[in-house]
Amino acid sequence: MDEGDEDYVVYGTPIEREEETSARKRRAIADAGQLRALPPWKQEVRDEEGRRRFHGAFTGGFSAGYYNTAGSKEGWTPQTFTSSRKNRADVKQQSIYNFLDEDDIKDMGGRALETSMQFDTFGFTAAELARKEAEKEQEKRPSAIPGPVPDEIVRPAANSIGIKLLMKMGWRQGRSIKDTHADSLYESRREARKAFLAFSRDKDGPELAEIESSRSESEKYPERSDDIFGGTKSTPVYVLNPKQDLHGLGYDPFKHAPEFRDRKRSRESRDKDRGNNKRKYAPGFGIGALEELDIEDEDIYASGFDFEQMEVEEVEPTKMIGDSWHKLVDRKRGSMLSFKVASNSDYVLERFRPPVIPADFESRHKFPTTLESTNKFPELPPPEVPPPEDNNLRLLIEGSAAMVARCGKSIEDLYKEKSKTNQLFLFLSGGEGHNYYERKLWEQKQKRGDLGRQNNTKSMKSSDEKMNAENRGKVLGERPLDRSSKASSLSVDVKEVIHLQSNLGDTFIKPVGLSESLKPFKYDPAKQERFEQFLREKYHGGLRAAQPFITNIMSETDRARERLDFEAAAEAIEKGTWSKEKETDPLSILKDLPFINDQRFVSSTEVEKHGVSKDEQKVIHPKREEFEWRPSPILCKRFDLIDPFMGKLPPVQRPRSRMDSLIFMTETIKSSKSEEAIASTRDSILLSHSESKETEKQLITQETDAEPIAADVQRPVDLYKAIFSDDSDDDDADEGNSGHSTDPVKTNEGANMTLNRLVAGDFLESLGKELGLEVPTDKPGPPDKPPNSILVEAASKGDINSSSVHEKLTSQHEEFDRPMEEKHKDNISKSADNVVTNLSINQNEESKPHSRHQRSRSRTPDSDSSDDYRDKKRKTHSRRRRSRSPSTDSSSDRHRSKRNRSKATHRKRGTTDTDSSSDHLYRDRSKSEGKSRKRSRHHKHRRKDGHKNR
Amino acid sequence: MAASGAEVLPGRREGGGGEAAVLRGTRGRCWRSRSKAASCLSIPSRRDNAKLVSCGGDRQLFYWDVSSGRVIRKFRGHDSEVNSVKFNEYNSVVVSAGYDRSVRAFDCRSQSAEPIQIVDSFQDSVMSVILTKTEIIAGSVDGTVRTFDIRMGREVVDNLGHPVNCISLSNDGNCILAGCLDSTLRLLDRSTGELLQEYKGHTCKSFKMDCCLTNTDAHVVSGSEDGFIFFWDLVDASVVSSFRAHSSVVTSVSYHPKDACMLTSSVDGTVRVWKQ
Repeated sequence: MDEGDEDYVVYGTPIEREEETSARKRRAIADAGQLRALPPWKQEVRDEEGRRRFHGAFTGGFSAGYYNTAGSKEGWTPQTFTSSRKNRADVKQQSIYNFLDEDDIKDMGGRALETSMQFDTFGFTAAELARKEAEKEQEKRPSAIPGPVPDEIVRPAANSIGIKLLMKMGWRQGRSIKDTHADSLYESRREARKAFLAFSRDKDGPELAEIESSRSESEKYPERSDDIFGGTKSTPVYVLNPKQDLHGLGYDPFKHAPEFRDRKRSRESRDKDRGNNKRKYAPGFGIGALEELDIEDEDIYASGFDFEQMEVEEVEPTKMIGDSWHKLVDRKRGSMLSFKVASNSDYVLERFRPPVIPADFESRHKFPTTLESTNKFPELPPPEVPPPEDNNLRLLIEGSAAMVARCGKSIEDLYKEKSKTNQLFLFLSGGEGHNYYERKLWEQKQKRGDLGRQNNTKSMKSSDEKMNAENRGKVLGERPLDRSSKASSLSVDVKEVIHLQSNLGDTFIKPVGLSESLKPFKYDPAKQERFEQFLREKYHGGLRAAQPFITNIMSETDRARERLDFEAAAEAIEKGTWSKEKETDPLSILKDLPFINDQRFVSSTEVEKHGVSKDEQKVIHPKREEFEWRPSPILCKRFDLIDPFMGKLPPVQRPRSRMDSLIFMTETIKSSKSEEAIASTRDSILLSHSESKETEKQLITQETDAEPIAADVQRPVDLYKAIFSDDSDDDDADEGNSGHSTDPVKTNEGANMTLNRLVAGDFLESLGKELGLEVPTDKPGPPDKPPNSILVEAASKGDINSSSVHEKLTSQHEEFDRPMEEKHKDNISKSADNVVTNLSINQNEESKPHSRHQRSRSRTPDSDSSDDYRDKKRKTHSRRRRSRSPSTDSSSDRHRSKRNRSKATHRKRGTTDTDSSSDHLYRDRSKSEGKSRKRSRHHKHRRKDGHKNR
Repeated sequence: MAASGAEVLPGRREGGGGEAAVLRGTRGRCWRSRSKAASCLSIPSRRDNAKLVSCGGDRQLFYWDVSSGRVIRKFRGHDSEVNSVKFNEYNSVVVSAGYDRSVRAFDCRSQSAEPIQIVDSFQDSVMSVILTKTEIIAGSVDGTVRTFDIRMGREVVDNLGHPVNCISLSNDGNCILAGCLDSTLRLLDRSTGELLQEYKGHTCKSFKMDCCLTNTDAHVVSGSEDGFIFFWDLVDASVVSSFRAHSSVVTSVSYHPKDACMLTSSVDGTVRVWKQ
């Protein structure tokens, strides 16, 4: 609405006109400016998005949707399919809105999504809109400067720095900058003035009237002023009204008759419209190039158009007037108040006084000891004094004199302090031998002074610097230069310089060649060497070698530990030497060192060293070893932990029942016998195999075991397999290799049955009877022969085709299983290896080997209920594994079936006629093995035949 | 008690009063169990003190109900004398160490008297066993301290080279104090197996004796065969204090986990409570 409306209170709901509320209409009006520039026949009808909807009868007619097809580019939005089974209630009701265009929806009820001004929290959008509107108006307005306005050409890229600063200070777009405080100040002032006027009413009448008028004037717009400066609205963009009339500046012809002003404006605007499009002519009917716009062409129906346009135009001037009014008002009362020259400013330029230099300040720094020592030689030498009788005292005096000379006066003070408690050092403070000490000290100093001067000339260093460096070296614990070599050779020559260089190199290294007592790793020369190396590295500074020690011998952790040891030892040595320098008593080091070591209990070497120095006995380090250990699942459960071996291959259980062990025993004996016998041949076989695993070995052993003697034990298993597992294999194969595991129920039943017969002893006969087969007891079945072929052969003698088919199926099956098997075997052999190595270690350490220990490292005798069949099956291989937790057995059915299969594979490997070398070997071996061999060969031939038949 | 001495119950949570009560109860049990067992070597109790388990020379473990004083269960399985027994964190498992070179775990919840786990990797008599939440640590006369990590499935063997008489865990759980039969206590870092310190001065050559750390882990306590009790500083291994506590061999020393309170027992048949 207008500005003017703000003053009024509106009751009731205003009647909204269709044209006004319709968004499309409004926009059309906004676009009218553009359109108006065009002649009507060039104008186009567009929808609110600016799309052309009417193309004319010959160019497509009415268009809708996306190229007259669907609602959008993607077509009709498909309804997502939801199964009505679960959520029947959720089935959406289709409404007409699902099928309408946005335009249609808007027309029907206006439910379409639109941005709402309601949530324009900071007024950004509103401000933007207002600014755009104002800019648009400004464009429309005739500008004072003809041509493009400069700020139309030059535009700031982003917000000005001022705006940025204001934003930082908390200003938001759409708010005024001025704070409300000024307003309230103004208010209070006005009140005060009122009060003052009330008092002085009688005195000055005319003045009062003037003020009254200004007051009333300002009171005219109290709300408005609040509105403007209240902080909610932004300062309006003033559209300056250029002067277009011929009146004088500031002259308002309608000053006393404001009602005429509006009329004049409307007239003006109408004139302007006329200027734009002089006459209305009906759209759609063009005029020719030679034709002139006539009265006939005028659009007599386009009546409302004018009116609307005027309405738009009319709004603006009034607003503009209002704006200018406010500006005026603003200037009248506010501007002078808001800015005024401060009476006193807070800003005082602070000046600091220069720092006061104390009177006793010297610009040059004096080094207390070193300079002193250099300056000391001119003083008179103390008289020559004969050394004291006590030899120890003499040594002590000489030593301390040398020390003091080297380290300066400070150390003498230290000694003096010490001497208060220690009788030995009384010579320092005028006791016995003081004179001798004085003399010695002087001698030492002179010696050093010579040296210093000598160095001075040699190394071209100033005396001060030299001494400083030395002093610093002392502080840092560097070794002073070797005196003896230099003191003797005073001549200046090049060699000496080189020597000095090398000595200098030595200087920065800790005294490595220490006395024997300071070698912490005496017992281990290699380590001692490394330690010295370490020390050299440590005090060397600068770059170090990447590989300081011989790394290939030691592991990473060992090296780290050793390094720690070295650090500790180095520290201890440093402490020791320092204490030595202080006390000059070599015995005190030995006294001190163990004490230091005692304190540093963290390092094991320290403790050991302590032991060496004290007890002179060998101290055994705690050695740490790690093994695999298999807690039983029930233990893990009771400790509320996850079994670390859960899901992993269970270790093989040791034989439990008596019968089991009986069979086991026979097997072991036999296998050990036969193992030796066939060892040579087997080795070659194993070599031929890519991985010579233990299990494989065992399997082969088992194979070879199944010779005449072993046959009676081996046989029932084979038969069992012939009956059950291979049947199921066949089934599997028939099913197309999909399921390659035997039926566990079936195998279990079969196992029990077979074992029952085993117990009876005459299993062969009984089985033969039961099956109705002729099983030769004296002629055991060939071990290399696949069991199923026995069966097949027995069942249908001479039927080559059936057996070959059978074998084809099983061999297919085999191949399918092979990779898995091999992995499995890997696992077994690894764990077995582990245990074996552990065992060997233990045995070495053991003084008296315990057979129990050998038997099983950790076993969990949980339940004997595990079926005996399985043990029977397992006994043939992997008897080397000794630890077993029984409750994992239930999960091992799968493994078992796999193992069965692996056996079958191995047995079959001998018979399959591939060209592998192992096969040849097998064949060679089989030649030397009696009747059974022949049978197997017979089979081979058959198989070959079968292949040929295929 | 006379044969090998009794291990007194470690100080319990309830404080001094409850401790004494439990102690008395323990001794009572001891006498009772002596009718069955040749000697009673170790009587730890559950954390709630409701049950306790004792072991001795009769190759059995007795699982007692404290309130009624009856044996709930006997665990068999050891082939010879049982040296040490402990409850686990959840009081569900009893782990015992025996002269038969094995450590056996028994399930308190099941009716079965058979062990659920046998660890027989030791080469000599297992003298002492301690349990943490996830580990079984046992010291053996073969000179090793073996840590069986149930969670990792690893056995870590620290070979000290001297027969281990007793092991005890520091209160922070990072160190093991192992009393060796060469009259030395050794402090081991559990994570690295490093020997941190050795404590000497007492005599421990032929008896099964105990050592422990104080409640603050500041000192190491051990008895001596001459009836003395020694206190060492944990860090410098200097003997802080030693005094005569019993007239004969001090078999067991136990410190209260929270308070400055100590129990000692001796072959002379006395149990003493030491308090600040």
